[in-house]
Amino acid sequence: MKYKNNHLFITISAILFLGAIMTTIEGCAVSAKITAKTGVQLWSENCQRCHNTPPPNTFSPEQWETIGLHMQSRALLTDIERNKIIDFLQQ
Amino acid sequence: MKPMYKLTVILQVIYWLIWPTLYAGAQDSTATVDSALLDRITALEKQAAYKKPGEEHFMVAGLATFGFASNRTTTTFNGVKSVSKTSNLGDGDHYEFSPLFLWRHGNKFLLEFEPSFADGQVGVNWADISYFVTSGLIIRGGYLVLPFGTYSKRLAAGWIDKLATDPIGVTDLPPTSDYGVEVEGGIQAGIMKWSYDIALSNGLQLLPDGTIQSAGITDNNKNKTLTARIGWLPLANSSLELGASIMTGKVGDAGSAFEAARASFYALDINYVENVKPFQVNIKGQYNIADINHNNFVNPIDSTSTYTFNNHTTSGFIQASIRPSFSPNKVFKNFELAGRYGNFTTPARSMWGAKQNAFTIGLNYWLTWRTVVKLTYETINSTNTTNKDLGGNTGETIKSNSFYLQFAIQL
Repeated sequence: MKYKNNHLFITISAILFLGAIMTTIEGCAVSAKITAKTGVQLWSENCQRCHNTPPPNTFSPEQWETIGLHMQSRALLTDIERNKIIDFLQQ
Repeated sequence: MKPMYKLTVILQVIYWLIWPTLYAGAQDSTATVDSALLDRITALEKQAAYKKPGEEHFMVAGLATFGFASNRTTTTFNGVKSVSKTSNLGDGDHYEFSPLFLWRHGNKFLLEFEPSFADGQVGVNWADISYFVTSGLIIRGGYLVLPFGTYSKRLAAGWIDKLATDPIGVTDLPPTSDYGVEVEGGIQAGIMKWSYDIALSNGLQLLPDGTIQSAGITDNNKNKTLTARIGWLPLANSSLELGASIMTGKVGDAGSAFEAARASFYALDINYVENVKPFQVNIKGQYNIADINHNNFVNPIDSTSTYTFNNHTTSGFIQASIRPSFSPNKVFKNFELAGRYGNFTTPARSMWGAKQNAFTIGLNYWLTWRTVVKLTYETINSTNTTNKDLGGNTGETIKSNSFYLQFAIQL
């Protein structure tokens, strides 16, 4: 590995190491705080990471199913997150 | 016989005499009502069946951008200064119309196709098939947007990008789409979340001058290129995401002098969104490095000889924006202020060597959640670092000032 990229590898290694340490401390089991999240909460948190949050009346319930799959692959949502968000948007 | 008894008998006789007629009439009436009702119910059932969602669903989304761009470029070389000016309608960096076709088969398969009319040409951004295996595992094949950094895959769309221009050098380093297969997913662990995205694709092709381009649908060698990104969201509210990406593979044509050449790209990205009421603060950034381990390239003046340079390129940007999203004022809440610094350094002593810095500021007005009008001003300072021995304008400086008025919408 070339010396000039060492700083990048140190940064990547530090991120992964910190993540691994925190995952070990937190444990792999999903916390109650996360499982208790509602669809509206997940919609707000995940959509705004990239763009403004879409109102439920933007698409029909059937279209939201399709958009849900598309966005799951873009934002790398879990199935639970996708389903909760789509349930909220279909109301 | 008593009169009352006689009357009862007479009434009974009359009843039994006219009963068949009454019964038939009643039957006819019932039959008429039931038939009408049944027809109506059948029609309603048919209508409902038409609206009942099937396994297969098709929809069209997409995006469009349109605008005006005005540019003033000052070039200085050996003390001589020249100025050029342009102004274009339909630019707005740049005019783009990209419908996105989505086919869904149940909840397991999704087919995506996004053709694009941009820069005066028709192309394809992506065309792929995704299989949603289980939570945390999606398999995709086709013409993919590669998982290198986050800008190209998540933030480049005109209605998402806070500024009218792409960050300098980020969308070109490396090419964004390729033919291949991909696995990806998100995994919750404790309060944190991890995401992974790994693709295997045909990869890139090294050209004789040291630049690279996508190899296309026919691979130029037997080696496949690996692209992978890991994302980490350490906070429970997913407001912060840190990502690291790598892309590596052989890039030389099979049987050529470049056969063993390998290109390696690395990227770090950050995304932070926080609601500090009444404002929403948004910070995004990405830093890319490209290394090609082959350093001898064909001399453009004398094709029988070679010349050398360190084929090392970097690009990056950091962007901040603020919007009073939670203001009670219905007009004020739709304004957004954005600023960005970008840097793009291509190999010194190559035929395209340059050091570029870009400063970009913008004021946006959101007409709806997915429709925006952007005013963007960008200044780019560039210094030429090409090889003087090969006829390059080494030391030339270019100062470019551009103003953009862009309208962007999601379809």
